[in-house]
Amino acid sequence: MIDLVGGVPLYILEFGDELVYLTPYTITLFLLALTFTVLALISQPEKQIDIAFGGDAYRAKEISVDEMRFRRFMAIACGLATMGAMVTGDIFNFTLFTAMVGITNVGIVAAVKSPHVQDAAYQYGLVALAATVPLFAGAAVYAAVTGSLSMIELMKGTVPAVPLIAKGMLMLGVIGEGMAPFYAAKAEMFRAPGAPYVIMCSLSSLLIFLRVVEIIMLG
Amino acid sequence: MWAQYSYGILVIMVAAVIAFYALARERDDLHKLLLLDLVEIVALGIIAMLGTDLAEALILPGLTVGIAELLALSQIYCTKEGIRNRPVMGLNIEVITKSDAPLILSIFLVAYGMVLSGFTGGGVAGLGLVFLFISRTYRNDLNLLEMASGISWAIWIFAFFVFMFLPQYWFVALMGAAIGILLKVTVKMSLVGTMWGKQHD
Repeated sequence: MIDLVGGVPLYILEFGDELVYLTPYTITLFLLALTFTVLALISQPEKQIDIAFGGDAYRAKEISVDEMRFRRFMAIACGLATMGAMVTGDIFNFTLFTAMVGITNVGIVAAVKSPHVQDAAYQYGLVALAATVPLFAGAAVYAAVTGSLSMIELMKGTVPAVPLIAKGMLMLGVIGEGMAPFYAAKAEMFRAPGAPYVIMCSLSSLLIFLRVVEIIMLG
Repeated sequence: MWAQYSYGILVIMVAAVIAFYALARERDDLHKLLLLDLVEIVALGIIAMLGTDLAEALILPGLTVGIAELLALSQIYCTKEGIRNRPVMGLNIEVITKSDAPLILSIFLVAYGMVLSGFTGGGVAGLGLVFLFISRTYRNDLNLLEMASGISWAIWIFAFFVFMFLPQYWFVALMGAAIGILLKVTVKMSLVGTMWGKQHD
C-alpha cells in the first residue's frame, strides 16, 4: 500500500529512527545535486568583466583567493545539505536541511566585498530566519497529527491525514528560505561575481522546491 | 489535557503575531535581527507544544540552526557596517575580580553540573566556568580546550553508534553519551567565557 508519488522506493535504509529512502525521483534529484557539487569542487572560478556600454573599455574585477576559497567551501556545504534534503525520509530532517541550504546560500555571497551584495544578503538572511518559524511549525504539526515524522509511514496511508495548514506552513517556510519559484527575489545577490558558486544558490533552491512538492503530495 | 495544549498554542500564536507586527514596523537593521531572535523562540515554542520526548529531540537541532543563522547574519552585519575590533570589557567589579567568591561559586556549579550530568549538567557546569573566566583574566592556549571539545563530541557520537548497532550495551552507551555531552557543553560554554575575557584589558 505505498502511494506512487515519486515512484516505488527502491531502497530503504533504516538507521535507528532516521531513515533514508531512494525512489527514481529522489535518485534523480540526488544525482543532480551531486554532479553540481563535484563541478563546484573542481571548476575554476570565473572572472567577472564589466564592459562600458558604447565603447571598447572594459575592466576585470579583482577577487582574492581567500574569498574564493570561502565561497567554494560554502558552495560545497550547500551541495551537501541539498543532497541530504533529497534523500532524507524524515520531515524534520528535511526542514533542517532546508534551513541549512538557506544559510549557505547567504554564505556563498556574503564574502563578496560589495555593499550592494552584502546588503541584499543581509535582508534575504532576515527573511530566511523568519521563515524557519513556519518551517519548523509545519514539521511540528505533522508530528502532532500523525505521531510520526517518517515519510514512509505517510506513504503507507495508515496514519491520520495531514491537515492543509501543516502543508501550507511547510510550503511557506520553504518559499521563505528563498526557494523556487521565488528565488527571483534574490536577484540582487546574484550580482556577486564567481560563476560556479552562485549557480549553487539557484540549483539548490530548485531541487529543494521539487522535493517539497513530493513531500506535500505524500500525506 | 487537550485544552491546555490549545491554550498554549493560542499564547504562542499571539506572541508570534506581536513579534511579526514589531518586525514589520521596525526599520533599523540591527533591531530587526534582535526581533528575529525572539521570533525564533516562538518557533521553538510551537515544537515544545508537542509535549513528548520527540519535542525535546527536535528543539535542540532547531535551536542550533537558529543560532547558526543568527551568528552568520551578525557576522554579515558587522562586515556590512564596517564594525571591527570593538573592545569587550570584562567585569570590572572589585569584589568579583579580587576575592575567592567566583572560584567557590564556580566549583559549586561545576560539581552540581557533574551530578546532573547530560545536557543540563553541561550547561550548569559551563556556566560556572564562564563565570570564573569572565571574572579572572585567563590567557592560556585555547587549542587544548577546543581539542577536549572535539574528543568529547566524538565520545557522544560513538555512544550513539553503540545504541544503534550494539543495543545490548545500552548502559555503557548511556554513560558515554551523558559524559560526552557534559564535557562538550561545558567546554563550549567555557570557550565563550575565555573569548569574552580575552580582550579584558
